[in-house]
Amino acid sequence: MTQDATRRVTHVCIRLLERSLRPDVAVHVAGDLAEQQERGALWTLRETLFALVHLHARPHTGDGLMSTFLADLRIAARLLRRSPAFAIVAVLTLGLAIGATTAIFSVIEPVLLRPLPYPDPERLTFVWERDRDGGRSNIGYATFRDVVDQSRTIERAAAIGSWQPTISGTGDPERVNGDRVSWTFFRTLGVHPALGRDFTASEDVPGSNQVVILSYGLWQRKYGGDPAIVGRTVSVNDGPMTVVGVMPASFDNVVSPGTQIWRALGYANQSFACRTCRHLRMLARIKPGVGMASAATELDQIHRRIEKQFPDQYASVGASVVSVQDQATLPFRPALLALSGAVVLVLLIAVANVVNLQLARAVRREEEFAIRTALGAARSRLLRQLITEGLLLATLGGAAGLLVARISIPILVGRLPQGMPRLAAIQLDVRALLAVAALVLVLAILMGLAPARSRRGDLGATLRSGRRLSSTGNHLTRAALVVGEVALAVMLLVSAGLVARSLVRLLAVDAGFDASHLLTLEVNSIGTKYPTNASVVAYHDRVRSAVAALPGVTSVAVANQLPLGGNADSYGVIDADNIPANPELAPNGDRYVVSPGYFSTMRVPILRGRTFTAAEAADTVNNVALVSAALADRMWPGQNPLGKRIVLGGPKGAPRTVIGVAGNVRHGGLDAATTLQWYTPEAQWLFADNQEVLVVRTSGDPAALANAVRRAIAAIDPAQPIVKIATMDQVIAMSTTQRHLALVLFGAFAVAALLLAVAGIYGVLAGSVAERTREIGVRSALGATPSDIVALVVGQGGRLAVAGIVFGLAGSFALTRFLRTLLFGIGPNDPVTLGGVVALLSLVTLAACLIPAMRAARVDPSWALRSE
Amino acid sequence: MLGELEQVVLLAVLRVGKDAYGVPVHDEIQTRAGRDLTLGTIYKTLTRLEDKGLVVSHIGEPTAARGGRRTRCYVVTAAGKRSLAATFKTLRHMAAGLDVGLEPT
Repeated sequence: MTQDATRRVTHVCIRLLERSLRPDVAVHVAGDLAEQQERGALWTLRETLFALVHLHARPHTGDGLMSTFLADLRIAARLLRRSPAFAIVAVLTLGLAIGATTAIFSVIEPVLLRPLPYPDPERLTFVWERDRDGGRSNIGYATFRDVVDQSRTIERAAAIGSWQPTISGTGDPERVNGDRVSWTFFRTLGVHPALGRDFTASEDVPGSNQVVILSYGLWQRKYGGDPAIVGRTVSVNDGPMTVVGVMPASFDNVVSPGTQIWRALGYANQSFACRTCRHLRMLARIKPGVGMASAATELDQIHRRIEKQFPDQYASVGASVVSVQDQATLPFRPALLALSGAVVLVLLIAVANVVNLQLARAVRREEEFAIRTALGAARSRLLRQLITEGLLLATLGGAAGLLVARISIPILVGRLPQGMPRLAAIQLDVRALLAVAALVLVLAILMGLAPARSRRGDLGATLRSGRRLSSTGNHLTRAALVVGEVALAVMLLVSAGLVARSLVRLLAVDAGFDASHLLTLEVNSIGTKYPTNASVVAYHDRVRSAVAALPGVTSVAVANQLPLGGNADSYGVIDADNIPANPELAPNGDRYVVSPGYFSTMRVPILRGRTFTAAEAADTVNNVALVSAALADRMWPGQNPLGKRIVLGGPKGAPRTVIGVAGNVRHGGLDAATTLQWYTPEAQWLFADNQEVLVVRTSGDPAALANAVRRAIAAIDPAQPIVKIATMDQVIAMSTTQRHLALVLFGAFAVAALLLAVAGIYGVLAGSVAERTREIGVRSALGATPSDIVALVVGQGGRLAVAGIVFGLAGSFALTRFLRTLLFGIGPNDPVTLGGVVALLSLVTLAACLIPAMRAARVDPSWALRSE
Repeated sequence: MLGELEQVVLLAVLRVGKDAYGVPVHDEIQTRAGRDLTLGTIYKTLTRLEDKGLVVSHIGEPTAARGGRRTRCYVVTAAGKRSLAATFKTLRHMAAGLDVGLEPT
């Protein structure tokens, strides 16, 4: 340490010393030390430290209460060191439970509870078209305009369209997540760019909307945080766009988490700005002073009026007004709430277990306390000692919990679904920690008092008798705690079992295609090289043949979207020979614009008719289509669908002849409502899809081919980004991440609960056997066989377990209905799960009973009797 | 009969005279007796002496070197001087006539 550093440290220590001394002694001692230090006496630091330690180690130099506390603390620490097994188990149990609770609540608070990070967030809302089945739909631009013009309750509104541009020019071409937004978007949220400016009204018109605003992350990552970025021209989708602003790092976009770039919308009366072009979301800020309910009523009335005005362009009934906060958190609410319930159960079990350990220790410490009382220790002094011990345990547990929370929160955040809002805001929640700490304090006092409670008996008797008194109160408390632990463990195990069985059920759902040996990736054909549908199809054909030529590839196909891929691209399907009055009421079918070979690659079965040939696929005059079995049933129940003609994408489109019926596939998710599908060749579709999914069937491990496939495609056009490479199994796993996460967490909590409960039963029985050694000896001496003794002990444990299981099942019946949204294919009272949990717990508790039972059976009667 | 530390500290306070607070007392003991006592030891002794009424203390002036903190200065009381005298007398009586090099020759 340098002279200067030593000096500074010394001064800090002197101040510390000054503060911990009585004021009337503090000043001159500190002054003397400072003076020594000024004179350059090197030993001053040593002396100050020594004085500090000395002062705190000698109770009589400090004030009375504090010094007793410190003395108690020293004794408590010494006692803990003397029984390390108890200390480690107790601190670990508390640490894990406190840490897990803090971690879960640290996630829940920002995601579910904290107001959105915008001014007056309660006035922000989404406005949807309300479907006949109560669902919510996007709206077309014309509808958006009408609603904004007619509403008197909306202060500001913005339309938002999803946009995934390719950014090139700097490094590899890259697909990023973006939004096309009305110029009012950021103003509606109440946020402003950190650099440059917001969009202007004049930029939100066709032709003038070549302007973008970057997210802070994209600006840093892609443009190295260039301070002169504003005004620069960047290459977006192969065209020049001007950067007008950069959002601040603190902007947390709840509307579309993960958005990296925004472009002015620029809609007016283009063909895609129509009423039925439902691809926009409507964000609105309600005027201050207007209740949300009256705003919702007004918007609903406006929607109904527009629907009447254009009866053939709406299938909706009014508007669905959902606050942004609700919209963002709704999908995650049930799982997170269920988890918070589970973690509280774990915390309760941990508390019960530690109190139980303390009680067991108290029995062994009866003599110690008796001696201390006999030597003149006041009851209050003993009580204070016990509370201090509890406080020390709780503090150590809290510190361990802080560590556990610090480690587990980043891991947890990494595994949360990416669409979850406010992920960036998740950090160790000080309030959660404080709340848990407060609980721990109460717990500390409880843990201290519990052993004291069992000390009401005659202390002298304990000493005189020379053996431990077994107090009934203590036993009852411990038994009740163990029953409680088992009950809580049952509830957690049932929850975990239900979630696990649901996932198994879910993964067993027939998705309608063969997911094994499939590699999927997204190929792009963006920019001036691909101006027409034909050029895009030609590019896809070259990609397909290049990939098909790779060794290990069985077949290749291209499609605009994949089942379970998370896209929702659907169009109304109209019978060309029977056009309804309101075409919007026609059934919606998932749009599958595919290359030949799609059905054989995905192994989607053709139930009737046939798939299209390569020649048909290239024919742009005679349009053909396949429909899913469910769509055929819906359109033409009981009739032969082959040869029927359908129109897609509005009644004015070209009719297509149905040439085949394909098997139904699960499009939205294994657990989502089933949907209808239709298929048509790429060349025949209305526009070129320049973002397509390539699906490759392989003979071996599909993941092993990823690099070869990537290289083959890059060789054709290196300027096109290749993204989202994943096996189909991974795609399916992605669609069930939330359940996986819930399962992992519930499973971990349940296992912890089971271990704690078993440890509790074992502890009670082991303690009881140790106490009853003499009684067991007498029983053996009077002729009880070892099996009688085993039965005695196992019976004692069994009664606790049975009581716990009964209470636990009752609790499960009450609680598992909150899990309903996490369940699939089974009810909340699934008998298989309940039976399995009962069987598991019975087996495990039996095992926990057997060890103390065997020990009891081996008690030598003569030894037990002589030892008294 | 005073303890050894008590004698040393009392004598040091007497020697320093005016402004006898921790640092000069420490230095006096170090220079004369060659013993490097800690300030803590000195103050503990002084507190004991004050409890016995052998010294009295008063708050002195602050200085910059002390970070503006005041000193506590000690003065030996009459009782303190009597105690010292009694202690020395006892020692002399006990040592008288012994030929082990205790008396100055």
